[in-house]
Amino acid sequence: MLDLHPEPALHDVVTALTQRLFHEARLLDDERFEDWLELLCEDVSYHMALKSRRFRADRSAPIAVGAGNVFNDNLARLKLRIDRLRSGFVWAEDPPNFVRRVVSNVEVLPGDAPNETIVHSVIVIHRNRIDGQNRLLTAGRTDRWRKGGEGWRLAAREILLDHSVLPDSNVNVFF
Amino acid sequence: MRMDRIGREPEFSRYMDLKEGWLDRRIFSDADIYEEELYRIFARSWLFVAHESQLPKAGDFLTTHMGEDAVIVTRQPDGTIKVYLNSCPHRGNKVCFADAGNTRRFVCNYHGWAFNTAGELQGMHEEYCYDEGDIDRKKNGLRQVARVGSYKGLVFATFAEDGPSLDAWLGDFRWYLDMLLDNEEGGTELVGGCIKSVISANWKFGVENFIGDAYHAGWTHDSGCRSMNNGQPFPPIDMENSYHASVNGHGWEFGTEGVGDLFLLGRPKVMEYYEKMRPKMADRLGTMRSQIFGSVASASIFPNVSFLPGISTFRQWQPKGPMQFELKTWVIVNKAMPDDIKDEVTKGVMQTFGPGGTFEMDDGENWENCTTVNRGVVTRHERLHYRCGIGRQIDHDTLPGIVYRGQYNDANQRGFYQRWLDMMEATDLEAMPPRPEPRLTGIAETRDLPGLFAL
Repeated sequence: MLDLHPEPALHDVVTALTQRLFHEARLLDDERFEDWLELLCEDVSYHMALKSRRFRADRSAPIAVGAGNVFNDNLARLKLRIDRLRSGFVWAEDPPNFVRRVVSNVEVLPGDAPNETIVHSVIVIHRNRIDGQNRLLTAGRTDRWRKGGEGWRLAAREILLDHSVLPDSNVNVFF
Repeated sequence: MRMDRIGREPEFSRYMDLKEGWLDRRIFSDADIYEEELYRIFARSWLFVAHESQLPKAGDFLTTHMGEDAVIVTRQPDGTIKVYLNSCPHRGNKVCFADAGNTRRFVCNYHGWAFNTAGELQGMHEEYCYDEGDIDRKKNGLRQVARVGSYKGLVFATFAEDGPSLDAWLGDFRWYLDMLLDNEEGGTELVGGCIKSVISANWKFGVENFIGDAYHAGWTHDSGCRSMNNGQPFPPIDMENSYHASVNGHGWEFGTEGVGDLFLLGRPKVMEYYEKMRPKMADRLGTMRSQIFGSVASASIFPNVSFLPGISTFRQWQPKGPMQFELKTWVIVNKAMPDDIKDEVTKGVMQTFGPGGTFEMDDGENWENCTTVNRGVVTRHERLHYRCGIGRQIDHDTLPGIVYRGQYNDANQRGFYQRWLDMMEATDLEAMPPRPEPRLTGIAETRDLPGLFAL
């Protein structure tokens, strides 16, 4: 049964998490990756799959093993990506691309644990690349944020990319 | 098919001199040349359309492209595979917009013309509007390709009625392909679905990168390697014991150290798996091939499939105009692998050569920039240098194909463009020369090739 009346989260929680998402987007736009890592839990999971187009009536088995994941990362793996970006050898990012994130449709719901919330949001990423081309990526996100001594930290992010064909040669951006 | 375009005076040899080692830049952006490629290469080559594992049951289908022609690939009730145009004979609309699935029929959205999975016209919406003699159902099915064939799980199709068989087309390249497709009992399968991305570059840049360009890795992918290898760059290549091998435009560049690509996958469990398996692989394929597999290596099948044996990314570069292609990538694994190893391989591939992978992210922009820059009206008349290693051809007792010593080489790229030129100029595909004369004549199974067990 669909619950149309979930308990609304407290107003200050909604404000705090919305501000977290905006802050996070600004850190990433400014390439402050180390500061961004501070917003993540030690056990963070960060996941994005690309979906294929199937008929609504399709009943063939879902993919049994593995999945077409663009991101399937833990904290170590995210750090490795940032090490790469910081290595000084990423020619495709030098001069830097201009990247701007817009975050919206923030919806905060209670999580399973008392110190956790589920946060739905939408992100639009605009990339103006070295070659002058613009790329627009949109995705829905379902996050799990956990409150600890240092405020809210991201425990899990599931990214639903709105493109069955990725409209760019790479996804060298965090969502 | 408009084959009337083919048979004019040869005109493409002016775009390259492979003995001298140069290419004309116009082949990477010129719209007329691209159009001729679609007719002369894509409408006449054996093109990869599916892996058998993608269509396990009757009624399973997937949609793909042969050149820019949309096709449907389906498994028939008798186990065979049919390939036909994904275009209704009435007004031409696609009859299937899904990527894959299982079905009993395809129905056109426009007027409800319905086809079974063999592509035969079964019926139409409001069929009474057709008087007797208006329509012959038998002649209005979905247009079938001329021939379908498969080699150890890879399904190929061609629009060409004549021309080499699939075995002759692959030729001695089968000796190399078996390292990917037949290194363990049970063969291979594609797992993890297909990831598609659009790259604003000429399709040939992807193919030639995988066919022979080991050279770019140490520079382009320096950041990726250092991030995965405690800050260390790629180790130097052993130029004495590494090779380029080219067969009929296909190519495989490789070392013989056995571990380089497995290491780059970044998954120790997968490395262990292959290390345990290596003696069995040697029994199966010979010592030399068991040493080549897993080494730093990359390969392409002419005209537009590439893969990294050991890293297990498998991909197709689908042309979408002279300056754009769609890259489709899959993960290829051995069927006999336990699920946890398949899962490790899948994770490793996505982390290295998926669109968000630490290596893949460096490549696309190089190809995009090569394509757009080469198009400049002055720039396009400047030659490109393809002469690396031009004097290093050798005869090798074990290795078939046109073999060059030294993994840093343009040899396979020259072999690819030689076949490109052969196809662009051939009026009769049967008359195209094999490059080189095959060793595998009359032997279907490369495991039987003499000299196999020599290193």
